[in-house]
Amino acid sequence: MPDYTLTASTPLDGYSRDFVGVSIHEVNDRAIVSIAVPKHGERELAKLLTSSYQIELPKPGILSVASRDNVVLFNMAQDQYFLVFDYTGNTATSVVRNLLGDTAYLTDQSDSYVWVRISGTNSRCLLERICPLDIHPSVFPVGSVARTVMEHLGTTIIHDAEDSFLLLSARSSAHSFLEAIETSAANTEPVN
Amino acid sequence: MIIHHPLLGPRDASEFVYKGDASLINRPDWQADNAPELFHDYLYLRDNPAGEHQELWYHEQGDRSWLVVTRNTLTHDITNVELARDVAFAKQANKSGRVEKSGRGKK
Repeated sequence: MPDYTLTASTPLDGYSRDFVGVSIHEVNDRAIVSIAVPKHGERELAKLLTSSYQIELPKPGILSVASRDNVVLFNMAQDQYFLVFDYTGNTATSVVRNLLGDTAYLTDQSDSYVWVRISGTNSRCLLERICPLDIHPSVFPVGSVARTVMEHLGTTIIHDAEDSFLLLSARSSAHSFLEAIETSAANTEPVN
Repeated sequence: MIIHHPLLGPRDASEFVYKGDASLINRPDWQADNAPELFHDYLYLRDNPAGEHQELWYHEQGDRSWLVVTRNTLTHDITNVELARDVAFAKQANKSGRVEKSGRGKK
């Protein structure tokens, strides 16, 4: 055995910064497990999700939420879902496999993405400069989710609470993504 | 240009990639006696209509779905958008004589 241990670091090293009316925080206590549905296996998977997490398979664009581990489930593509839950260990798929067994193909995506929370009364002002979707609460209410592109980077946006949005983008371009968000935040601040 | 995705609603065309004429769905039978001729036509011969055109679009920056978009090449009006999966299943069903059960297309 080697006499050293490796400690994982998060994509943005726990970044957190407040601007006028908007705060930007990296979220680093959530795990992502991708669930791919086997052919003709949707019914069986739905049954196990209900019995284990008390959660339903979501329709595109809408979050399913449950209290167990603060689970959130959303559709990423046809026959593919992301299950997100509170977890900081290294074996997220084993947690889900214990509950779902072999009813779905599971892939740990936790370290492939960066999570950024945009919150505060100016959060929509920040996002309207980089997000091509209409995120007004009348068309994108709390509990909505969509995958789109921001500053040429693929991004999933989740409206998780009033004046609060979670952004999910690729870990490999996390700092470029953060730069786009910071620039937009600075542009929303009043000019002295 | 806005494409009305059948599942996700209106999305900007910048989220999509154009993948060509929708006739690419009709892949010839590779075991047919005249397969070389069929594949020649499949690969190289395209209609070039001034008007309504069916084409494949891939939602790369969205849900990674393939769509069959009916677009007018003169006006860029999009009159119909369907999931390519539904279109392919409907073709299969028609071929085998079964009744089409799809219909998620949106005008």
